[in-house]
Amino acid sequence: MRRALFSSAGVETAGFSAVLMLTLVLAFLLLMAPHAMAETAGNAPAIQVPNPSTDLWREVRQRDGVTSGRSQIAGVESGTLINPYGETWRNFRMKQLIPYSGYLLAGMLLLLILFFLVRGKIRVKAGISNKKLFRYTLYERMIHWFIASVFLFLALTGLILLFGRSLLLPWIGSEVFSLLASASKEGHNLFGPVFAVALLLVFIRFVRRNIYQKGDLTWLLKGGGIIGKGHVPSNFFNMGEKSMFWLLVLVGAVIVGSGLILVFPVFGQARITMELSHVSHALTTLLMILVIMGHIYIGSVGMEGALDGMTTGYCDLNWAREHHAEWATLCEQEGKVITDVEVSRLRGDGDTQQHAATSAQETG
Amino acid sequence: MIGELIDGPFWYFSLVVFCIGVLFRLISILRAGLKPDLAVPRSGGSTGALRNLFSRFIPRRDVATRGRLTFVAGYLFHIGLFALLFFARPHVDFIAERITGFSWPALPYWAFIISAEIAFIGLLLLWLHRLLHPVTRLLSNADDYIGTGLVFLVMLTGCLALAQAFEPLRLLHLFLAELLLIYFPFSSLMHAFTFVFSRSYSGAVMGRKGVNA
Amino acid sequence: MSHDFAKGVEVLSRQIDSRIAAYFSACVHCGLCAEACLFYTETDDPRYTPIYKLEPMRRLWKAQHTFWGKFAIKMGLSKPLTEQDFADWEELVYDSCTMCGRCSMVCPVGNDITYMIRKEREGFSAAGYAPVGMQEATHRALTIGSPMGITLKTLQAALIHVEKNTGLKIPMDQPGADYMTLFSSMEVVNFPEYIESIARIFDAAKVSWTISSEAFEATNSGIQIGSHDAAREIVSRVVNAAESLGVKYVISPECGHAYTAIRWEGPNLIGRPYKFEIIHILELLDQLQKDGRLLLSGHTDIPLTFHDPCQIVRRGGVVEPPRDLLAKVATGFVEMADHGTMNWCCGGGGGVSANERAEELRLKVFDRKRKQIEALGVKTMVTACANCRIVLEEGIEDREMDVQVIGLTELVAEHLSHNVTPG
Repeated sequence: MRRALFSSAGVETAGFSAVLMLTLVLAFLLLMAPHAMAETAGNAPAIQVPNPSTDLWREVRQRDGVTSGRSQIAGVESGTLINPYGETWRNFRMKQLIPYSGYLLAGMLLLLILFFLVRGKIRVKAGISNKKLFRYTLYERMIHWFIASVFLFLALTGLILLFGRSLLLPWIGSEVFSLLASASKEGHNLFGPVFAVALLLVFIRFVRRNIYQKGDLTWLLKGGGIIGKGHVPSNFFNMGEKSMFWLLVLVGAVIVGSGLILVFPVFGQARITMELSHVSHALTTLLMILVIMGHIYIGSVGMEGALDGMTTGYCDLNWAREHHAEWATLCEQEGKVITDVEVSRLRGDGDTQQHAATSAQETG
Repeated sequence: MIGELIDGPFWYFSLVVFCIGVLFRLISILRAGLKPDLAVPRSGGSTGALRNLFSRFIPRRDVATRGRLTFVAGYLFHIGLFALLFFARPHVDFIAERITGFSWPALPYWAFIISAEIAFIGLLLLWLHRLLHPVTRLLSNADDYIGTGLVFLVMLTGCLALAQAFEPLRLLHLFLAELLLIYFPFSSLMHAFTFVFSRSYSGAVMGRKGVNA
Repeated sequence: MSHDFAKGVEVLSRQIDSRIAAYFSACVHCGLCAEACLFYTETDDPRYTPIYKLEPMRRLWKAQHTFWGKFAIKMGLSKPLTEQDFADWEELVYDSCTMCGRCSMVCPVGNDITYMIRKEREGFSAAGYAPVGMQEATHRALTIGSPMGITLKTLQAALIHVEKNTGLKIPMDQPGADYMTLFSSMEVVNFPEYIESIARIFDAAKVSWTISSEAFEATNSGIQIGSHDAAREIVSRVVNAAESLGVKYVISPECGHAYTAIRWEGPNLIGRPYKFEIIHILELLDQLQKDGRLLLSGHTDIPLTFHDPCQIVRRGGVVEPPRDLLAKVATGFVEMADHGTMNWCCGGGGGVSANERAEELRLKVFDRKRKQIEALGVKTMVTACANCRIVLEEGIEDREMDVQVIGLTELVAEHLSHNVTPG
């Protein structure tokens, strides 16, 4: 774009200045500059002449606001020589976004470690029973782990792109880092739309059970039971889970939207749009990563019995009673309680485990 | 040094292993022998074989509902993989240069990317289905996971090398593809070839019985 | 029961032909066959996945026919097939498979899983790992001549009743007749109406037919338990009798496995084509009706449906004849959602109904048929297999349903046109 503008100025020196005079202030100044310099050098008495290149630069740099020139090149912003907000954005990214988001992520990690040290693993108080409830269907588990794996990949590649230069480059050297950064960028771009698909599937499947209802506020007021000691009844999903769902959906929509704007710069979006998209993409993903860190914490080391429903499809009855009392009561009333033995039959464990082991061994 | 090895001798080595291996597997199937059917057929076996070869692309009603996930994910993966394997510009160029000597029209870049995304969605869902469904969980063995994993890695490194600016990324992709080629004949990935045999054999028998399979 | 593991493995490995090698090579463990199997859909037990029932045979194929399999056995990385595997899989191979062939229709790579089960049973029965009920039935078939212990005397007693009821002479051992008729034990014992019906129909249509006193039993326990030798012996009795009488056709009765045995497996079992043709009773009736030799009049208006016997329709290829016949005699004929070559099995084929151990499971998986009937809302089911009929009736009784099962041949006989002389 820049080159195009200069070449159009060159055309004017040949005598077509009248044609574009009105709009090409920049080009005119550019044309005049060398002459002005020559004249100053030729005349002996030094008079105070303001340096025209300052004015030129001020105009080019657009310190006084955006002015749009005209160019023979048809394209988005081809009339703008330099985008004044670029520097603002760059400074924000380098001086605020990277350090502060880094502190936040590290802080969250530290917080979770501290929390674990203080609170420990939240046990099922009544102990793990020998009865189970069916919690998530195959499809629900599939789309959960689908969005989970895509999210983790995108988070990893995204974080490499954001922090790589300051954290990884000094360690692995520029040659390796350039590979890694290019790979991360391509991978991130390719998997972005896949995340959009996954988000849509998750939204459609889980939205009904995530509508807020009576009792959710009580749950919130009692801190979800994670802080206090008492049992806080809740339905299939509790207030915390519902909030995380809506956060995922709403923030996720912003993430997807801003991401698509960034990955497809072909719809006439200007640089300012890209910069804003980048900033909102960074802030929303940062928020999401923080929330997901908490989610992963509860699902793994934070709480006994929380992961089972999402891996096997069945959760422990006592766990359900303690964390989703309303739902558990409903299931018990409907006679949906299943024994451990039945679950292992349905999952094909039990007496065939030994054969499965030998057949797996045999293929290795 | 390693790059030259991957790009040259190792590529030819894996190609030879692939070709000989596949041929060996197919021959070993034929060598197992098949007795001629002496029962008087209702209609021709070859018509049935040909019919079955194509009719199996369309699922039966209740399997299309009960097994919807497998069916949808399976189609996404296979169509996506087929498109990007044979019609992505870099692949067309590579195959033309190394194997065929001629090239054919490639997909535009955006279609290549979309087919890659479709293939990834399909493969991830199939993999998760394998891990989570009681039936596939029981059936699957190391071979199934190695095959799926290798295909996934090849696709992933391919997508990481999309910029086509870094030779090491291309070589990584190529190296994994070569491992896949070597692994292929010894695994159930062979179904890419053997499905023709299994469908035809069954189709011939069913055709002779007068059953439209 | 005597077990012979070495013989079992030897026989099993002999079964692996190009088809089976191709099938195992093509299987990607997608699990879709489970969705077609009533033993899986009605129990949700993943062990009842059709291809899983073939694990012993797959492992043997792997060890003998593949590079890694041979390598792993040599290096001690994988264990060869053990006798315990036979013991563990016996229930899966026999109790939870009726060889109905539905899985073979849905496999995306086209594997004929039913064929493999048929072959796997060869190895299992050779090793002595087969259900007692089926072993005894096969033993009776070889020694007495019928799996249910029916002798010529029993048949003659039944025929006396038939002659009394119909007033017709039943031709016995008549050389040069066009058709030789076979019966299944169940028809002789439980459904003599079938014999009456064909006597009436053949009389009306002026069909030259006979029964052989040497070979009247159609059922073949050999192909159910998976014993090539027993199956060949049973088939060759029929072949010898038919060829010595010099008949042009042998009629396979309303019995599923009998048809598969005599029509499709028979020539391969005895190693040569027959000197006569095999025709299924439904094919013959349809043909007579189309030729104008079998004149039908009147029809029933009650809503009814047709239960396709797997071995006659899906595995036998007699798909249209029963429908053509029903169209002639029943105006209220409706099809179930899954019908014809995709019909669901009654749950008692492939020797399962002869296997007492499997009874509980068989009644459990009858749920599939119950749901089908209830979805359609009819109270009458027509079928064309004595075994299906018994199993359906037992299931209907067990579930306390109000559904009647009738044989198609009887239904046709009821609508014979008596007043018109066939042209």
